[in-house]
Amino acid sequence: MPNLLAARSQMGLSLGFHIIFSALGVGLPLILCIAEGLALLRKDGSWMALARQWTKAFAILFAVGSVSGVIVEFELSLLWPRWISFAGALIGLPFAMEGFAFFLEGIFLGIYLYGWNRLSPVVHWMCSLPIVLSGLFSAWFVVSANSWMNSPSGFQMVNGKAVNINPFAAILNPSTPFETTHMILACYVVVGFGTAAVYAAGMLRGKRDDYHRKGLLLGMALAVVAIPLQIVSGDFNARFLEQGQPAKYAAIEGLVTSGYGLPLYIGGIADPTTGQVYGALEIPHGESLLAHFDLNSYARGINEIPAQDHQTAGSFEAVHLAFDGMVFIAFFSLLVAVVFWLLFLSRKRRVPENKLVLWGAAIAGSLSFIAVELGWIVTEEGRQPWIIYNLMLVRDAPNPAQWITVSFIVFSCIYVLLGTTLIVLLLRLARRPKTPMVWNEFVQREEEGEEQRSQGLERKKAGAR
Amino acid sequence: MILDYAVAVLLWLSIITYATLGGADFGGGIWQMFAFGSGKQAKEEREIITQAIGPVWEANNVWLVYLVVGLFTAFPIVAGTLAISLFIPFSLALIGVVLRGAAFAFEESIPQSVDVHAAFGRVFSAASIIAPFLLGTCAAAVASGQLRPANGRIPVAVFSAWLTPFAIIVGLMGLGICATLAAVYLTVEAERQEQPALIEAFRIRALIAGGVTAVLAAITLGLSPFEAPVIWHGMLDEGLWAIALTMAIGLATAAALFFRRFRLARVLVQMETAGIIGTWGISQLPYIVPPDLTITGAASPYPTMQAFFIAALVGMVILLPSIWLLLHVFKVEEKPPPVHEKGLEKAT
Ligand code: HDD
Ligand code: HEM
Ligand code: HEM
Repeated sequence: MPNLLAARSQMGLSLGFHIIFSALGVGLPLILCIAEGLALLRKDGSWMALARQWTKAFAILFAVGSVSGVIVEFELSLLWPRWISFAGALIGLPFAMEGFAFFLEGIFLGIYLYGWNRLSPVVHWMCSLPIVLSGLFSAWFVVSANSWMNSPSGFQMVNGKAVNINPFAAILNPSTPFETTHMILACYVVVGFGTAAVYAAGMLRGKRDDYHRKGLLLGMALAVVAIPLQIVSGDFNARFLEQGQPAKYAAIEGLVTSGYGLPLYIGGIADPTTGQVYGALEIPHGESLLAHFDLNSYARGINEIPAQDHQTAGSFEAVHLAFDGMVFIAFFSLLVAVVFWLLFLSRKRRVPENKLVLWGAAIAGSLSFIAVELGWIVTEEGRQPWIIYNLMLVRDAPNPAQWITVSFIVFSCIYVLLGTTLIVLLLRLARRPKTPMVWNEFVQREEEGEEQRSQGLERKKAGAR
Repeated sequence: MILDYAVAVLLWLSIITYATLGGADFGGGIWQMFAFGSGKQAKEEREIITQAIGPVWEANNVWLVYLVVGLFTAFPIVAGTLAISLFIPFSLALIGVVLRGAAFAFEESIPQSVDVHAAFGRVFSAASIIAPFLLGTCAAAVASGQLRPANGRIPVAVFSAWLTPFAIIVGLMGLGICATLAAVYLTVEAERQEQPALIEAFRIRALIAGGVTAVLAAITLGLSPFEAPVIWHGMLDEGLWAIALTMAIGLATAAALFFRRFRLARVLVQMETAGIIGTWGISQLPYIVPPDLTITGAASPYPTMQAFFIAALVGMVILLPSIWLLLHVFKVEEKPPPVHEKGLEKAT
């Protein structure tokens, strides 16, 4: 395998792995915070049990997020030394700040995890707020670094060297507001539908208790707020790309040739070499209408862009499909969320237990993770052949060491190992007996509380038998 | 210029912090290897090691991450050079760090069956030996001045720089330092848990590991004039006091262990580690990668250095009270502290 391909594969694999845990790391604290808040407000045992169960899952996910994050961090230098030698001075700073945000998140997670019986309930709840915030900042910082690769700014090039460097201008590059908003919302979409999916799946297997209903309800509440915002923000991203990165825009829309009144291509293989789009569903004038609200407006295709700036073979087609996949998932999820809430409201606020809705929630939950991966494929593949847009080519950046292929194979094995272990452990956690769900059992404190809680559990188990 | 040095000092402090905290985690893994078998003492040893390390590894990793980030922000050329010429040992060390982290991440939740635990223990031990050894050899490769461009090109993934006898000795010294740190920390831990047998076991080990490390350090010094001339001359010019101080602290550590002043020994062994790494830094001034890249020459432009330094200060201002809060929360209760607390105290 050539170094370039191996390095790209390893980078893509590592980030694709890491992003799942970071999205959860950003989103889960919010849902924890809400659940615990509701528990305190309503003195409700089910909410509390949910908060506790999620905390346990979060602890494992956070640890895997940090392990996979260390890999990515090393890989920025190890796989792309020439890129980092240039870009480090400009976008190292947000990574350093992410480091602090992560540390803060870790510290408060520690307090949160071990503080259940040591802090007063309200103080304990307040400790979830810094976790929510530092997760947000983490995401914002890192994604601003990625945005910089898409729209580099904060320096001037003189004789092949960057001068007049301004790291803050680099962080606040033109893509930053669009990408960071879209990514942060994605975290909430994923966590909303993801939690809903877990409890929907549980209910489908017959566990229709208060605990599952509330889990589903809260997940769906977050989801129904996040998904419309996500769609609006994605629309902004796409409109920004039309000016900011025309080649990427042409790729997402599958625009092989420029023209007036172009159709919207849904799906299909858009082949830039032949200038044809095969097998797409075509909506006449759709592209022109969506892009400029004018049936006959002009849209730029990839043919207008110099050939050396085209995406590498295959990327163009992949980006179009990935983009349509993401959009499809967005609207499917929106549909599920809307149906769920319409049913909820029309049936006197009872959580719908309709099989179809539950299946919908379970599917939307899994798909939303795929949407995140697809979105990143759009961003990263769509930028090809540039590693830094209009400045440095990907093929000039990989490490020349002759071991990259081996490294890719070894790291692939590590991910398989990590992934399977994690799934097995989370399934075990899900099957473990739940924390008690009666409010009184939560308010007892200290050792005796601890004791009674386990006794309560015993009693429950005995009762179940 | 001053700023460049200030940031370099900051990064060197991260190395030291990572070595004293993360190094002990690795050392724990090394001792876990010795604690095999199903005997009672071996089992207790394994337990105390997991208890002491489990809760802190994540926090300790932050220093490594910060080091990597700091290097590519403040000295991007250095990050690029090291990545190209030391690709192999750094990748392998990364695998070590990751497996060690993963073993811990899953430790608390894995089934309590003996087989599974043993498997995790082995992964952890192996990873604990790979990582510090390789990081040691990388340090030696840098110090020995072998990473210099030939015909204007950086040497690509060479074995010759980090598999020299000198580098191997330094790698072994890295292992020795980790083992000593962990053994000393574990005496304190065993004392707190009032386990006399364990105290004694780890006290002896700390003394042996410390002795071995001292011998390796002496060999390293002896080889330096031939293998790492830049450092050797730097040491003669600037660093003699640092060497003397480091040696004195080493002796004091041994004395503290001998007289069973374990808490004192813990502080001393940390100072000793700082001494060793600090002496290396002082000796290679003004270079960051001898003999071509100086600290000022490799540093990022002023605005980046300034922003990085300020960000570090602001970060600390936010972090320190949070860490204080964390420790405070763990002191709230009078009842015997649960497992995680003990480790956390160590982390500070
Ligand atoms: C839950 C996941 C999710 C959902 C439902 C959507 N997206 Fe998205 N999208 C992402 C998750 C995502 C992402 C993974 O988070 C990306 C990758 C980079 C980024 O900032 O966000 C992304 C990137 C991304 C980009 C590329 C940005 C760039 O490269 O600068 C565009 C144009 C869109 N999205 C547009 C949309 C549209 C029009 C959507 C709905 C109609 C949509 N996204 C739904
Ligand atoms: C976490 C979500 C991310 C995912 C899933 C992701 C995905 C990918 C993928 C799939 C590739 C391979 C691209 C290719 O084949 O061309 C890649 C490359 C790369 N990504 Fe990202 N990326 C993410 C975020 C980031 C961020 C935040 C940065 C920040 C700087 C970044 C930096 C890079 C670099 C340097 C490359 C190699 C150059 C290239 O191929 O263009 N990525 N990423
Ligand atoms: C090039 C891309 C990235 C790099 C180099 C990177 C690096 C890291 C590192 C090193 C850690 C662990 C920190 C430690 O142990 O000290 C981490 C964790 C984390 N990262 Fe990333 N990251 C990247 C992409 C992202 C993206 C795109 C997001 C945003 C959603 C993100 C969000 C997080 C979060 C929230 C954590 C905390 C761990 C958790 O909550 O699971 N990261 N990252």
